[in-house]
Amino acid sequence: PAPPALLPYVPQVPITALPGKLTATTFALERPCCIFDHQANASDAVWLVVAFANASGAFRNPPSRADVPLYEQLPTAHSYMTLETPVHAFACSAPSPALLRVGGDTACGGQEACNGPLPSPGPYRVKFLVMGCQGPKAETRWSDPILLRRASSPSTIDPVPAHRSSTVVVIASILASLGAVLAAAVLGAVGAKAWGSLCSRDSGTSTHRSYRTHHILPVLSRPPGCRCTPPGLGCFAPRPPAPCPAK
Amino acid sequence: MSKSDGGIRILQGLLVFGNVVIGMCGIALTAECIFFVSDPHGLYPLLEATENDDIYAAAWIGIFVGFALFVLSILGIVGVIKSNKTLLLVYIILMLITYAFEMASCITAATHRDFLTPNLFLKQMLERYKKSEPDNNNDRWMIDGVTDTWDKIMVQNQCCGVLGPSDWQEYTSAFRATHNDADYPWPHNCCVLDDQGSPTNLDGCKLGVPGYYNSNGCYDAISGPVNTQAWGVAWFGFAILCWTFFVLLGTMFFWSRIDY
Repeated sequence: PAPPALLPYVPQVPITALPGKLTATTFALERPCCIFDHQANASDAVWLVVAFANASGAFRNPPSRADVPLYEQLPTAHSYMTLETPVHAFACSAPSPALLRVGGDTACGGQEACNGPLPSPGPYRVKFLVMGCQGPKAETRWSDPILLRRASSPSTIDPVPAHRSSTVVVIASILASLGAVLAAAVLGAVGAKAWGSLCSRDSGTSTHRSYRTHHILPVLSRPPGCRCTPPGLGCFAPRPPAPCPAK
Repeated sequence: MSKSDGGIRILQGLLVFGNVVIGMCGIALTAECIFFVSDPHGLYPLLEATENDDIYAAAWIGIFVGFALFVLSILGIVGVIKSNKTLLLVYIILMLITYAFEMASCITAATHRDFLTPNLFLKQMLERYKKSEPDNNNDRWMIDGVTDTWDKIMVQNQCCGVLGPSDWQEYTSAFRATHNDADYPWPHNCCVLDDQGSPTNLDGCKLGVPGYYNSNGCYDAISGPVNTQAWGVAWFGFAILCWTFFVLLGTMFFWSRIDY
């Protein structure tokens, strides 16, 4: 049998930024439209060959459909074939979703052409293979290595904030200083009162009374007709004039 | 004599005015803190699961401090008008105690706000969302709270994860342990849902096709209300304390000038 025709198409992961195009167990491929129209008959099927990147060189096209390595043989054969699709689904005129998702079928039950999730991050290489009744008829080139995501453990996340914001420092320092001033003012006021009452208790109440009398004394007890001597010395009534000597 | 008498009258007027302002601010603080404690956005389970909900403690303190400020301001007005030394002494001492509590509330709210980083919520979401095997009753309570809150947040705010759907891909999680990566690259609540609550296009959502999934992170929807609460309690309390500081100083000065 003639070797399969080599098509120049290279399968690739879509360039658009889709967050789900590469996950831990699946990846997406651009759909190869209009590629297989010349080589294929209506009864042919297009398979996707998935192999570990280091085993893609050793992969040999299966001579017939019965020899196709399936999904369950990936750990031993290091490759498998999946996504068996009739050729007309890739025709130019066929309406179709723009992407193929490899690994998206979790309900595989030992059936043919299982598209199960990939067991390890890879890297993998893929190519499309057109299988007819007599064996492989055409194939594309191998893709670039496709590496799947590796997730890290959430225990590596450090929730501690990077730095303390200045707002906290401002609020705390201003409030602390205001509180300290208030406390000092209260203590000062209480202390001054206590000190003042302590001093006045020592000298007794006489000072108090004499202060009052000092105010009142010069005003009330000045007898009429009195000439004032220097203040503080009290006030003496002038001596009555001596009786005049008899004439 | 008359000049200092007039000065005392002016001081009395200022103190009454100051106490009126304190009373109104006390009521406002109580109302604001009751609003925060009522948790209108339903974010309390997330904070409870961090085992550090000091912002809510600060809001609770704010409720009681606000009410105490209102009552004490009335006492202060009565004491100033009657020039009663005993009343004013009681007023000053109780005000100082209230001042200390409000200081604690402000500093707690401001400090705890810094603690709520995106990484904190990310780690909590990854470790608790839809975790299947709780360690104990407390763990189950927190898991249920986190799961229900996240489901509600993702649907109401059309967002996914803390920083984006890629959070679920970059890290393993408790969710990943029970939901395989091929069917659930991210939870189905991250998809655009129809009226019955199921995704409009599940394949498009799994691939991340724009229009079928929520591409924003939920951190803004979480930190917005929490920030408002923290700054509301911290800055308003700070403003009240600054004003109260001057009123208290004036009252102490007035108290020392009263003769029996």
